[in-house]
Parts: sequence; C-alpha cells; structure tokens
Amino acid sequence: MERAVPPTVPLGQMEVFQALQRLHMTIFSQCFSPCGKFLAAGNNYGQIAIFRYPGLCSPTPIGSAHDGPVYSMVSTDRHLFSAGDGEVKAWLWAEILKKGCKELWCRQPPYRTSLEVPEINALLLVPKENSLILAGGDCQLHTMDLETGTFTRALRGHTDYIHCLALRDRNPEVLSGGEDGTVRLWDLRMAKEVQTIEVYKHEECSRPHNGRWIGCLATDSDWMVCGGGPALTLWHLRSSTPTTIFPMWAPQKHVTFYQDLILSAGQGPCVNQWQLSGELKAQVPGSSPGLLSLSLNQQPAAPECKVLTAAGNSCRVDVFTNLGYRAFSLSF
Amino acid sequence: MSSESSKKRKPKVIRSDGAPAEGKRNRSDPEQEGKYYSEEAEVDLRDPGRDYELYKYTCQELQRLMAEIQDLKSRGGKDAAVEIEDRRILSCVHFMTLKKLNRLAHIRLKKGRDQTHEAKQKVDAYHLQLQNLLYEVMHLQKEITKCLEFKSKHEEIDLVSVEEFYQEAPPDISKAEITMGDPHQQTLARLDWELEQRKRLAEQYRESLSNKEKILKEIEVKKEYLSSLQPRLNSIMQASLPVQEYLFMPFDQAHKQYETARHLPPPLYVLFVQAKALFKPHEESQDDESDSDAEEEQTTKRRRPTLGVQLDDKRKEMLKRHPLSVMLDLKCKDDSVLHLTFYYLMNLNIMTVKARVTTATELITPISAGDLLSPDSVLSCLYPGDHGKKTPNPANQYQFDKVGILTLRDYVLDLGHPYLWVQKLGGLHFPKEQPQPTVIADHSLSSSHMETTMKLLKTRVQSRLALHKQFASLEHGIVPVTSDCHYLFPAKVVSRLVKWVTIAHEDYVELHFTKDIVEAGLAGDTNLYYMALVERGTAKLQAAVVLNPGYSSIPPIFQLCLNWKGEKTNSNDDNIRAMESEVNVCYKELCGPRPGHQLLTNQLQRLCVLLDVYLETEIHDDSVEGPKEFPQEKMCLRLFRGPSRMKPFKYNHPQGFFSHR
Repeated sequence: MERAVPPTVPLGQMEVFQALQRLHMTIFSQCFSPCGKFLAAGNNYGQIAIFRYPGLCSPTPIGSAHDGPVYSMVSTDRHLFSAGDGEVKAWLWAEILKKGCKELWCRQPPYRTSLEVPEINALLLVPKENSLILAGGDCQLHTMDLETGTFTRALRGHTDYIHCLALRDRNPEVLSGGEDGTVRLWDLRMAKEVQTIEVYKHEECSRPHNGRWIGCLATDSDWMVCGGGPALTLWHLRSSTPTTIFPMWAPQKHVTFYQDLILSAGQGPCVNQWQLSGELKAQVPGSSPGLLSLSLNQQPAAPECKVLTAAGNSCRVDVFTNLGYRAFSLSF
Repeated sequence: MSSESSKKRKPKVIRSDGAPAEGKRNRSDPEQEGKYYSEEAEVDLRDPGRDYELYKYTCQELQRLMAEIQDLKSRGGKDAAVEIEDRRILSCVHFMTLKKLNRLAHIRLKKGRDQTHEAKQKVDAYHLQLQNLLYEVMHLQKEITKCLEFKSKHEEIDLVSVEEFYQEAPPDISKAEITMGDPHQQTLARLDWELEQRKRLAEQYRESLSNKEKILKEIEVKKEYLSSLQPRLNSIMQASLPVQEYLFMPFDQAHKQYETARHLPPPLYVLFVQAKALFKPHEESQDDESDSDAEEEQTTKRRRPTLGVQLDDKRKEMLKRHPLSVMLDLKCKDDSVLHLTFYYLMNLNIMTVKARVTTATELITPISAGDLLSPDSVLSCLYPGDHGKKTPNPANQYQFDKVGILTLRDYVLDLGHPYLWVQKLGGLHFPKEQPQPTVIADHSLSSSHMETTMKLLKTRVQSRLALHKQFASLEHGIVPVTSDCHYLFPAKVVSRLVKWVTIAHEDYVELHFTKDIVEAGLAGDTNLYYMALVERGTAKLQAAVVLNPGYSSIPPIFQLCLNWKGEKTNSNDDNIRAMESEVNVCYKELCGPRPGHQLLTNQLQRLCVLLDVYLETEIHDDSVEGPKEFPQEKMCLRLFRGPSRMKPFKYNHPQGFFSHR
C-alpha cells in the first residue's frame, strides 16, 4: 500500500489516536513464511501483522501478540517465533491467518534479575541442534531446545546487553554483538566463549561520539561484518583484524551478506549496497526515516517472491523487488 | 244725367288705369253697375281672333290711306286738301280703332294676367296648405312615434313577476278581475303594490338603523368599561408577583415567554421547546429566553442594519435574519456562563448561533489565549469537522450563485455560525444523498441531540477556561501542575519552560519537523498552534503544539526539535521520536482527574522531565574534554534497551526511578 493520503473525514478522538499511533509506530522485526508468500512484521506496540505478498490487501493483524514490543522474529518450517519483552512465543504458520489465533506456547528463559524483565533482542535458530538461541537484556545467551522446550544453556560474558546474534555454519559457533562494544564468539558444544573482539578499541573503525555499541552482525564463515556505534567494518575472524571499513557515518542497525554484496541499513532512509572492497554500490531510499531490519525472501518454495523488505521507524514495510528501487510499501 | 255721363266718362278715363279703378268703382258705385259702359265686359264678348283680323285690316287701311295721302301730297293739287282731309279723318278713325284695339289688347292682357295671377295665387295657397298639412302630418307622425317609443319610468322599476304579484298582493290592490284583462290596469296595480312594498321596507330600514345606533352606543359604553378594567387587572397581576415568587411558581414569566415563543419560526421553536424540556428539572443551570423586538416583528420588511454597507440589497435580502432569536445561557459549575444566541435565516432555512463566554470574575487574557474564548472560535469543531464556516444546506449553493455570494464564511461574524449541531437542535436535517426541497423542523431529531450537545458545550467552555488560566501561567514560564497530578512526575525537574507563544497555522506547516503531522492530516486550519521552548543549560528543545478544538478529549500533539550538539528531530534521533511518543501516544495517563483539563500542562511537565532524562543519560564522549554537562541525577535501572537503544523515559511512582516501556 502506498503512503496514506491525509484523510478528508473529520477526525474524532478515535481517529486522532489511531493516526498518532501509526505515526509513532516502529517495526522492529520481520520474517518471511516458509512458503515465501507471507511476511510477518512485529512492531513496538506488541502487534504482529501478517502481510500477504504481493500485499495488495490489508494485513491480518494479531492484535496483542505481546505485551511489549516485538524485537525479533525467526521462522522454521512450521513455526514462527517472536520475542520481545522477556518472553518468546511460538505460532503455527498454518494457523496464523485464522481469526483469534493464539500462540502455541510462551516461554521465558530463566533470568537472574527480578527488578525488571529484560528484553529479548535477538533470536537465532541453530538447525543442527534444533535449538533456539535467545539473547537480550540480561547479557546472556540462552539456548532453548525446540523439542523439549527447556532452556539448556546460559552463556555469560557480555557486560552489557546483547543486540544481535549470528551463526557461523561450519563450526557451530555463535557470534554475539552487544552494547558493551564487543563481538564474542561462542562455541556451542563447549558452551563457552572462544573469541572476543573489542571493536571500539580499533582506531580505524571506532567512532567515540556515536558510542561503542555493536548493533548489527553478519557472518560468512571466515568473515564477519559488524556495525553500530563504530563504523561498519568487515573483519577477518581468524586474525580478528578489520579489513575493510565502509564509509558510512550513520550507525547501522542491520547488515547482511547477499550474493557478493553487503546490504546494510540504519539511521537514514536508505538501504546501502556495498561491494566487498568497501565501495558503495548503491543507496536505495525507502520510505521510513530510519531502518531497523532487512529481510530477504530466499525461500526456495517461492522463487518468484524473491524480494528484499526493509522496515524501521514508521508503520510501513518497503518492498524492493529489484535491489535498485523501492517497488511499493506495505502498511500496518 | 250729366253727372252720370260725366261719371260715365270718368270711368272711361279711369278705366285705363286698370284694376284699382275698377275696385274703386266697385266700392263707390255698386248700384250703377249696369248703367255704364264696361269695356271689360266687352272684352269677354269679342273674339280675340276677329280683333286681330281687325287690327291687321286697320293697319292695312292706314297704310293705304297714308300712302294715298302721300301720293296726294306729292302730287299737290287743290282737291288734294279735301281728300287729304277725308283721308285724315279716316285715318283718325282708324287710329281710334287701333287705340281701341290696343286698349282691348291691354285689357285682355291684363285680364289674362289677372287670371293667371289668381290661379297662381290659388295654386300657391293650395301649395302652402299642402305644405302645412304635410308638415303637420310629419309633426304628428313624429309625435306618434315619440309617443310610441316613450318609456315610462315605471318600466325601469323592477317589478315582481306577475305570478308573484297575484300571489302576494292583497286583493284590493291587485283587483284581479279588472287587471287580468287590462294590461294598463295591471301595470298600474303592480306599481301600486311596488310602492306599498317599498314604503314598508323603507320603514323597516329606518327602524333597523335606529336600532343599530342604539347598539353601537351600548358597545361604546361597554368598551369604556372594559378598558377601565384592564389596568385594574394588571395591577392585580403585579400584586400577585411577589406571591408567585414566594411560592416559586413564576407563571407570569413563563407565560410571557411562551407568548412570544409562539411567534418563533419552526426551527427556533423546536429548539426552544426541547431546551425547556431538557432543563425543566434543573431550573438553575440554564436560563432560556426568546428575545424579541416587538416593533421589528410588525415591520418585518425592514431589517436591522447590521451588515456592511458594501453588501448588495439582494444579498441582504437573502441573508435576512428572523427578528426573533432564542437566547440560551448555560451556567457552569464555576459560575461562568456561556451565552448562546440562536438565529434563524429565513431565506436559507438554516440556523446560526453566536456565542459569548462570561466569567464570574474578570479575566485577564494572556496573549497566547486570545483565540481560546473568542466568539468566533470557541465553539468550533464541537463535533469533529464541524467548523461552521460553510452552510449546511446544500440548496443554499444555488441561492448564493444567484446573488453572487461565494461562501457564508465571509458573513459568519455578523450572522453567527451555522454549525451542524445547531441545525440538529433546531430539528433541521439536510441529508447529503437526497437533497430535499423543503426541510422542516423535527422535534425528535432535536431531542435526541440536545443532551449530548449541552454536555459538550459545558465541557468545551470549562476546558477553554481551564486552558485560559493555564496559559496565563505558562506565559510566565511556570507549568501549573495541580496537586493531584504530582504523582506523575519526579520531585525535581530541572528543565524549564521559557517560552509559550501562539503561532499561525501557516507557520506551523512551514516548520521542518512537523511534516509528518501535516501529512497525516492532523494539522487542519481549525486547530490552534503554539510553540513552547524548554531549556536546560545549553540544550534548547522546541515543541510545536497542535491544539485541537476538541481538547481535552482529543489530545494536543507535540513535535520536538532539540538543539544540543546538533539538531535532533524525530527523523534523525530515535529518542526524540520516543519522547514524542511518550507525550502524544501515552497521553491517557496524563489526563489527570476528570474532566481531564490538566492534559496540556501535564504533557508539558512530562516534556521537561523527558528532556532531563535525555540530557542526563547521554553517554559521555570520552574524546571530548571536560566534565559532563548534565550529571545524572535520575535513578535509572538501565540506560539503554532494545535495538533502538531507548532511554528510560517512563517514570515509576512512588519508587521514583525511570525505566523503559
């Protein structure tokens, strides 16, 4: 749906409130369905909307899916996992479009603190183990076994809350980036920290005026790209050295490898496409003033729906069918 | 005898004179007729033919004699003289004959003439007679025709018909036996009867006239009596007023009101009736009068000269107001009164209202509160979208086109605002889908809207007055937070409000950080716009405020722009966006106790608190020298949370710490 035209009907209290809500909506997370035809998006009011691609009709909302914002979502073949304020919920894709859909289950990892419920910022699926890793406000990585539903591990090490997770395929290692400015690698089998990279300590990429927090991580076995407060940098993992600095002054909130490009998005309305050499190939503007998540529909089941969607500080999800331009936007 | 012979000679001589002598002779000697020679008689006896022969013979003889004489004279001889003498005597005799003949001829002529003359005279006389007679005949004929044509006056009188006459007339007048056969008598009788009837009726007429006079006099007397009665009754009513008041039954007043109310046009009447009905049990909360100008009502052709001079007469005519209006005074709890005057525009079939707010105490209007209570805008958008600048009756557009009025907006200041709720209160409904030619006032429509509208009006006045007071304080830099809202904020708030001004709609739209609100259609021209400036240290926070007329059920909308280490707005700083969300979206918790007039001030106070939190939780940049400008004084569990690294903007009471939503 395109951007909303200013309504011509007189605005009563309800309409004004809804308009204000839409103006202040932030979409934190998105996830494509296994069939590739649906997109789930979670926002800061705790709502999840299911968009049908190509999205010419209004989304099916699951009204109050969560009490707090839905910070992250991942999907398996049959389930959709959403996590936000301290709990993770599972939904069945088959049921999700029906009215009054309820979550399959809702679990909370064991937290240490009781004053405040920490948020879950990142979810990661480890298909080899059939487990789900949660990380967030309590600075730990929790592993949940999907079959039994129990929390098996709690990996500690970060000194401040964790922003993002990434999975290194070859050796089952998990990378986590946090507010404390470090990227840590964890070995899942041994359940301990293997490597720590303090990004902010490297002068090439540190930007003290932005802070030291790592907002986004992506890994391609030997290589890792991370960004946030420090500049977006490509690292060689074995040697823990920054190889390429991408000259983007705005802090990036999401980064991913795509074919031979690196796509990143953050503050600013554009999706940036980088060559591995550090050159900016293209900057494609979206409709939100800032982007928080990118999602690529690479489901083999629906090759015709191969799109990139971007969402962030607005109520709209931009859809890029061709990486060169924004095709249309879906609206909450 | 000699005398007789002389007389005989005399007549001879005299006779040559003709008739007169004859006449004389006849008179003088009647007895001597047969005794003298009458030549006239001789004439009759002689034959004119013979006389003529004689004449011719005589002339011949004379000629012969003359010729002989001539001869003799010429021959001359002695015997000639005697012969001549003989011939001379013969000629003389012949001359005598000639003379006689001449005389006879003359006499004959005269006779002939006389006879002719006589005959002629006779003929003339006969002629004259004939003419006279003819003339008389003509005259008589004329007279006859005149007589025949004569219309007697009696035919002009409408007489009753013959049958009726015979029926009604008494026998001594009708005299049937005589009149039946004789039309003349009949007519006479009828005329008689007519005369009698007329006399009788004239008599009756005179009697009736005199009766009428009498009765008129009586009426006069009674009228005087009554008119003297009226003041007495009035004085009695006046005297009873104190009693009425004492018993709390102001019948008089109500009665007068209802009397005038009867002259109201239908929509105003509906409004009047419904308002009375609604407020019957709560007499003290309203005051309802129908205001009238009695003289105006009589001369409805003339209008009060309230419109500007430059208006056309036709336009004036079209926009004419009914001279009667209904005034409704709504008293609110704090003794402020909303005066509403409802008018009815006759040609346009719509109602308008003029509003005025008076307070118990004199209000000093702060500069920014200018528009809050102005009569033009105090009732704007009582229901969403009801801005009262356009006429609600779609048929009016055609009427306006005829006289060249573009829109009613230009005239609302004088005529009042034609809000939709006013039409509903008057029972007028103008459906958009099927425009109706005539819309009549409907009581049920009015009664269904009356209560809600009155409530809304009261809320509106009270919220405006509350804002009025708050603005006065805001302009001095103090955010007035009432004691029952203190729990919403921490005890110590360092950021201060330094400025509070009104800005125009156009200026608001021009601001670079308000584009989202404008695009969302939330910044129309019926709203009021303000700019607040909050400061702490070097940080300046500008807040552009949209105040909807439906405050406080519709919240004010804030858009922020922070100037501190660069310019931060919601497009480049997520935390500014979060601050806006705290104030705009989470406004319900800031409403305070009902009726929620504290919303704006609470929002402003929260803004100050948010700025405090923002500035104090900003991470210190180690590369820059010097201490942190704003040391952290707020108690926060965590400084950042979530992928967008939100600051802890939520205040928890009574623990007094800040956390995230």
